Amino acid sequence: MNTINKIKIFLVDDDALYLKSLEIEFLQHGDFIIETFSTGELCIAALSHNPDVIILDYLLDGIDKNAMNGIDTLDKIIAYNPDIPVVMLSAQDKIDVAIDCMHHKAFDYVVKSETAFMRLQKIITTIFRYKKLEKELNWYMDRM
Amino acid sequence: MTSVKKPDELAITLKALAIQKAENEKLVAELIIVRQKLAFHKVEKGKRAAELGIATKELIFQNKEKGKRAAELGIANKELIYQNKEKGKRAAELGIAYKELIFQNKEKGKRAAELGIANKELIFQNKEKGKRAAELKIANYARSLIEASLDPLFTINLKGKITDMNDASINMTGISREKLLGTDFFDYFTEPQKARQVYQEVFSKGFVADYPLTIVDGKLTDVLFNGSVYKDDLGNVIGVVVVARDITDQKRTATELTEAIVFAELATAIAEEAKSKAEGATRVAEDAVKAKQQFLSNMSHEIRTPMNAIIGFTKVLLKTDMSAKQKEYLQAIKMSGDALIVLINDILDLAKVDAGKMIFEKTPFKMALSISAMLHLFETKIQEKNLALVKEYDNKIPEVLVGDPVRLHQIILNLVSNAVKFTSKGTIKVSVRLKNEDEENVTVEFAVTDTGIGIQQDKIKDIFKNFQQASSGTARLYGGTGLGLAIVKQLVESQDGTIQVTSSVDEGSTFSFCLSFQKTNDEAEMEAKSAESDTEIKDLKVLVVEDIALNQLLMKTLLDDFGFECGIASNGKIAVDKLKDNAYDIILMDLQMPEMNGFEATDYIRNVLHSDIPIIALTADVTTVDLAKCKVVGMNDYIAKPVDERLLYSKIVGLVKKLSPSSLVASAMNATDDTKKLKCTDMDYLNHRTKSNPALMMEMIALYLEQTPPLISAMNRSFLEKDWNSLYSAVHKMIPSFAIMGISIDFENMAKKVQDFASTQKQADGIHDLVIKLDSVCSQACCELEEELNRIKNAS
Repeated sequence: MNTINKIKIFLVDDDALYLKSLEIEFLQHGDFIIETFSTGELCIAALSHNPDVIILDYLLDGIDKNAMNGIDTLDKIIAYNPDIPVVMLSAQDKIDVAIDCMHHKAFDYVVKSETAFMRLQKIITTIFRYKKLEKELNWYMDRM
Repeated sequence: MTSVKKPDELAITLKALAIQKAENEKLVAELIIVRQKLAFHKVEKGKRAAELGIATKELIFQNKEKGKRAAELGIANKELIYQNKEKGKRAAELGIAYKELIFQNKEKGKRAAELGIANKELIFQNKEKGKRAAELKIANYARSLIEASLDPLFTINLKGKITDMNDASINMTGISREKLLGTDFFDYFTEPQKARQVYQEVFSKGFVADYPLTIVDGKLTDVLFNGSVYKDDLGNVIGVVVVARDITDQKRTATELTEAIVFAELATAIAEEAKSKAEGATRVAEDAVKAKQQFLSNMSHEIRTPMNAIIGFTKVLLKTDMSAKQKEYLQAIKMSGDALIVLINDILDLAKVDAGKMIFEKTPFKMALSISAMLHLFETKIQEKNLALVKEYDNKIPEVLVGDPVRLHQIILNLVSNAVKFTSKGTIKVSVRLKNEDEENVTVEFAVTDTGIGIQQDKIKDIFKNFQQASSGTARLYGGTGLGLAIVKQLVESQDGTIQVTSSVDEGSTFSFCLSFQKTNDEAEMEAKSAESDTEIKDLKVLVVEDIALNQLLMKTLLDDFGFECGIASNGKIAVDKLKDNAYDIILMDLQMPEMNGFEATDYIRNVLHSDIPIIALTADVTTVDLAKCKVVGMNDYIAKPVDERLLYSKIVGLVKKLSPSSLVASAMNATDDTKKLKCTDMDYLNHRTKSNPALMMEMIALYLEQTPPLISAMNRSFLEKDWNSLYSAVHKMIPSFAIMGISIDFENMAKKVQDFASTQKQADGIHDLVIKLDSVCSQACCELEEELNRIKNAS
């Protein structure tokens, strides 16, 4: 498989341990290109690498109070390119957090738990199915 | 050739003749000489005259002879001359004939050459003919191929007139070949202008591929126009070959596809909507269930606690001296209280089953004994109502089975109490039959038959519903809440059993159900036996840890009744202090207390004091996860409030007996060792995740070691400084690491509690302890992981 067809995923989390475990999971469960970032700033700086999906931690300013938080990062990503699907990750299973993420146009919201990775995988699959459908639809619309 | 020779011969002959003439002349001369001689001789010859006369005569004769010969020679000469002449003539004739022959030969040669040429010509012509024939064949074949095409094929000349076409074109346009020929090609399309453009494009580019046009025929056929120019031998463009492919089907398919996609999109949208609706509904339903359970749980707690006091003190009061009237009232209070507790328990049971929290034990028990003991309860009541109780027990059923005797009790109790309730005369029959038996399991059929009021057929399906009785009047006449059968059904079905009812009005009903039990060789634990040892155990020292004064008093009264010594502690902290100074045999521990709750106290007793003293949890709330938590922190048993005297007694005695003083010490020692050895981390998860890849494992562990200590100090610092936001963040970040490093979920829950506290700042009690525990477990984890890291390093 060449690199062009691989899905590129950005993982952004200030929890290095969780970030690493997620990276390991992704690399073991699929043929992805993974780039990891410990802060939102680094992620935004690398947006030119054209990620297909970004998985973004909600709480990025937990330790470093001056760090850009998840929502701000999300806003910046969407401002850069509204078509990049961003899946928010959070340790808290809170409706306000979920709503907050959705209001800022996150594609989905996943709670960090045992099943998080499985959910992420499913979401990524869904994203690409949507994209494909959209593409097909556009093609047919053009034809019509 | 002889004729050529002849003249030579003639010449020779002539020469010979000439020679002969000269001879002759010589002869003549000689003759003259001879005459002279003769004359001479005459004289001489006078003698010889006679001789001469004779010689003369001879001579004359010879002359004559010679004349004759000469004449003959002349004739012969003449003859020869003639012959020579003849011969010359002949020779000339021969020459002419020869010339003639040569000429004729030449002529013949010419003719032959002409024939050769003619022959060549013929061969050439034959070849040409062969070629023509082959070409003709090929041309016919090509034509047939063209005709075989189902796509219309046209050739058009430079002016756009049709010069040729195949049958398909005729079929498609529906116009005959003759009429098509020479007509304007562009007239056959809906957009002649467009067709002309295409045509021009063909000439400019040399070809055109897949250009969509519409042919005008009976029904307007959509085609893809493909054209290319064709050239003569000199390469001059002389026209265009056009193929028009009918794409009606493709177009229709494409349209259908588009429609299908639109439909699919619509369907997807509808499905999405339905899904989100369903999800919403599910959420609402789940929330409702949660709320209901929460409500029931709370209600049970709130009602049971006061009920506990009411019933307990009623019992205590009944034991004091009082007037008969007072006793009667007290009995009434107690009965109402008992009924209320039964109702609450029923509701709780249902809630548990609904929430899937009903856990069925698997303990060995003696079925026959269990059933008899249970039926024993009804004896008084049955006698009162003047009914007969018949028990049929199948002796083939193995003595000891594994199952949940408490739930079986509950089922049969409900059925029998219904039977008793609704029967005014006749018999109640309880039968237990072995239905199936295999290597591991037995299926037992239980049936309770009465001769009571019966149930109408159309009501049978309703009786298992919550708060439903066969008729609305039933409750008025017979009492009851309508929960009994609902619970029975739930209990039976949760154990993969089935329940059936047959009934006829005024004749009675039969409720039967089947349950499977495992076979076992184990001895049944008999609770009942503890009664025998009643006398043996006295003077137990019991520590009651309970914050509500009423309950303290109640427990004290009960324990005094049992003859046990009783110490009271109003919270976990006091209990722990008391344990340090006094020896106790058993602790009864309430769970919800200020300062230090039951879990914390137990944890402290087990892990800090390293004591193995039996602890029984007292809980008013049996639906929540508290029970599991009790076991996790190391409690030996639990008992639901309001406390059942007998149950409490048997549990206390059972636990104390199990741990005789000697074994107590030993196990306490073991416990100490175990805690020391017990690792808090578990590499299973990491092994699994990284597929035991040492590099990845080391990386993960190193990350943990790097990240965690600052988090711990951040947590401690922020807690001391009451910087709740920082505390929240620190603990929040810690949470995922517990699962990754295989640290018990209890700690994760603790961390979550701390996190909740940090965000709400409510329920501060115990948070400090939790922080300390998290600190210690994380530090321990760091140490262990350090070792693990070294181990992996060394191994790899």
